[in-house]
Amino acid sequence: MILEAKNLNYYYQDGESRRYILKDTSVSFEQGKFYTILGQSGSGKTTLLSLLSAMDKPHSGEVLFHEKNLIEIGYDSYRKNKIGIIFQNYNLIPTFTAVENVLIAMSITENDIPKDQKTVAYNLLDYIGISQEKANRTVNKLSGGEQQRVAIARALSTNVELILADEPTGNLDEEMEQEIIDIFKKLAHEHNKCVIMVTHSNDIALQSDEVLYLKKGVLNKHE
Amino acid sequence: MSFFKRGLLSITRRPGKSIILLAVLFILGNVIAGAISITQATSNVESTIKDRLGSAATIELDYEQLDKMEESELMNFEMQPLKLDLIEEIGQLSYVKYYDFNTMLYLGSKEVNAYYGEDTEVDFAVEENEEYISTDFQFKGINYAPVVDFEEGKGKLVDGRVFTEDEIKNGTPVAIISSKIAELNSVHVGDTISFINSVYSFNEETGEESVDNSREVPIEIIGIFEPQKVNTDTENNEEFNWMDIDYQNTVYVSNELVAAETKHSMGEMAGEYEEYYVPIFVLKQPEDAQAFEEEVNPLLPELYVVRHASDAYDSIAKPIESMSTLSKYVLIVSIATTILIIGLVVLLFLRDRKHELGIYLSLGESRGKVIGQIMTEVLIVSIIGMTLSLFTGNLLAQSVSDKMIESNNEQTTDEMFYYSELQTDLTTDDVLAAYEVNLSTEFILLFYGVGIATILLSTLIPLIYIMRLNPKKIMM
Ligand SMILES: Nc1ncnc2c1ncn2[C@@H]1O[C@H](COP(=O)(O)OP(=O)(O)OP(=O)(O)O)[C@@H](O)[C@H]1O
Ligand SMILES: [Mg+2]
Repeated sequence: MILEAKNLNYYYQDGESRRYILKDTSVSFEQGKFYTILGQSGSGKTTLLSLLSAMDKPHSGEVLFHEKNLIEIGYDSYRKNKIGIIFQNYNLIPTFTAVENVLIAMSITENDIPKDQKTVAYNLLDYIGISQEKANRTVNKLSGGEQQRVAIARALSTNVELILADEPTGNLDEEMEQEIIDIFKKLAHEHNKCVIMVTHSNDIALQSDEVLYLKKGVLNKHE
Repeated sequence: MSFFKRGLLSITRRPGKSIILLAVLFILGNVIAGAISITQATSNVESTIKDRLGSAATIELDYEQLDKMEESELMNFEMQPLKLDLIEEIGQLSYVKYYDFNTMLYLGSKEVNAYYGEDTEVDFAVEENEEYISTDFQFKGINYAPVVDFEEGKGKLVDGRVFTEDEIKNGTPVAIISSKIAELNSVHVGDTISFINSVYSFNEETGEESVDNSREVPIEIIGIFEPQKVNTDTENNEEFNWMDIDYQNTVYVSNELVAAETKHSMGEMAGEYEEYYVPIFVLKQPEDAQAFEEEVNPLLPELYVVRHASDAYDSIAKPIESMSTLSKYVLIVSIATTILIIGLVVLLFLRDRKHELGIYLSLGESRGKVIGQIMTEVLIVSIIGMTLSLFTGNLLAQSVSDKMIESNNEQTTDEMFYYSELQTDLTTDDVLAAYEVNLSTEFILLFYGVGIATILLSTLIPLIYIMRLNPKKIMM
C-alpha cells in the first residue's frame, strides 16, 4: 500500500450549512498500478486529488503515504520528495526552457538524483518524446502535447514512486491523449510507479488497472 | 537550479520588466545619492570647521539677554565682575586642558610705529602735537606663560621665547610683539622699546582734554610672533584686514603689568581699580563642550554665559546649514517614496508572475526560498541601478549644491558677527571652501547601506503577498 486515504471529509461553508464535497471517503492505492478516477463535473475529483497531493488539507480524516501521515511527513516535503503532480494546464514556467523547467524540480527535491542533472533531464525528456532541440526552447514555443510531456518529465525527474494527474489530456487531441496514456501505463507496469489519474473519459478509464467512481462525496470501485 | 540562479535567469528572461525596475531605481537612486552626498558634505564641513575653530570656551555677559532687558531693569542691574576665584575654580574642572585669563590696555609709543595695513605707510606716530600719542598698541595681559594664542594656533612664536612663570607673577616688563611691528621698526629680540602711558584730564570749562601726567614704559622684547592666517585670500574682505591689523598690533605682556599701568592711567581714581578678566578655557576635547557648559552654568553670576569657539559655526555656516536641513528632508522623503514605489512596482510584477510562484510552491519549494529568489532579483537590479546612480547622483549633488550655495550666499554675505574673545578669522568663505561633494568610500558605503536597507524594506509588501499565496487556488 503506497497511499491510503481514511474517512476524508471536505466541505464548503454555504452560509449556515456545509456542502460536503467528500464525505467519509476512504480509498487505497498500490504500487505498479494505473488508477483512473471518474466522476461528473463538479463531483469533487480535483478536490480529492488536492488532498492526495497535499495541496490542501481535509477538514477531517487522514492521508497516509507508506503508512505515514502526510502531516508527519510535512506537506512541502511530501510534495518535493514523494510525488509528481501533473495538471490539466501543464503549469510550466513560460520564461524557462523545457529542460530548465525539469531542472527546477530536480533542484527543489531532496531525493538522491544523479549529479549530472542536465544529462539526466535531457535523457528523460527524450524518453518522453521531447528532442534536445525542443528541450532548449522556452516552453511557450511548444505545443500543448509537448508541454504536457515536459510536465510529465518534470514529475518523473525527482525519482518518485507516485504520480498524480488531474485531467492531463483534457486539452489534447485523441492521438496525443493516447500517447500520454501509454506513457502512464508504461510507468506503472515497467517502472513500478503508482499512477493516479483523474479523467472524464470512459475510454481512458477502461485502459486503467482500476477505475474509481466519485459520486455524492464517496469513492467507489467501478467494475 | 538554485533559487539564486533562477533569480538571475528571471532578470535576463524578462528584460522589459528588469529595465523598467532598473529605470525606477536609477531615478530614485539619484535622489537618494544626491541627498546623501550633500548631507555628508555638510557634516564634513561642520567637523572640519569646528575642528579649526578649536575647543576654546570663554565666559562673558549674555549680550542677547542684556539687549532684551528694559531700560529700568538695566539700570537696577548691578554687573558683577567675574571673580578670579571662580575662573580658577572652573579652570580646575576635568574638561579643561589649560586656561588663562586676560586683561586689556591700550598704549602708544613714540619710538615705534603701529601697523595700519599693507597699503598704508603713513607715519602716524609722529604727529604735529607732541603731547598726543595715539594708543595703537593693544596690550594683552596673560597669566598662562606659554601663551594660549600660540598653543591654539592663532599665532606662532617665530623668534625668542615665551614668558617664564616668574615674569608673569612679578609683572616683569617683557613682551612679545608681532613680526610686522618688529619688521616695520627694525626691532629685534633683546631690544627694549619704550611705550607711553598718559593720564588725561578733562577741563570742564574749556571742554578740552590735556595730558596730565605721562610716564614711559620701557619693555624688553623677548619674543616675536607671526599671526597664523587660516585664510589666504585677504583681498576683498575688509573686516578681515581690520582683524589682522588688530592682531599685528597686539603686545603680549603679563596681567600684572597691565594692572600696574591701568592703575597709573586712572590717576586719582586708582583706588577704585578692579580687575576685569576675560577667561579662556581650552577644553581637552571639543565633544566636552556640552558637559563643560552644564557644569559651569550653575557657578556663574547672573547674566553670564559660556561661549564656545565652535558657536561661531552657526553664524558663518548659514548657507551650508540650510542646505543640510533641506538635504536631510529630501533624504527622508525619497527613502519613504522609494519604499512605497519599489514595493508597489515589485508587487505589480509579482502579480503577473503569480502562476510561476504557485508552481514553485506546488513543487514543494519553501516560501523562504521563493522569497529568496525574488529578493535576489530585486537586489541585483537594485545594485546595478544604485551603482549607476552613485556617480550621476553625486554629480547631481555637486551642481545642485553649487547652485544653492550661490543663491544662499548672496542672501547672507552682509551678516555681521559680534565681537568676542573667541572671535575667529574663519568666514563663510572658509566654510564654503571646505564644502566639497566627493565620491568618498564613506559615501559609497553609506549609499549602498541606505539603498539596500531601503530596498529590503520595500520588498516587505511583496513578501506578505508571497506568504499569502495559495498554490491550490492558482493551479487546480
Ligand atoms: N472555492 C470554492 N467555494 C465553493 N465551492 C467550490 C469552490 N471550489 C470548488 N467548489 C465546488 O466544489 C465542487 C468540487 O469541485 P472540483 O473542482 O473538485 O470538481 P471536479 O470534479 O474536479 O470538476 P471538473 O470535472 O469540472 O474539474 C464543485 O461543485 C465546485 O463548485
Ligand atoms: Mg477538476
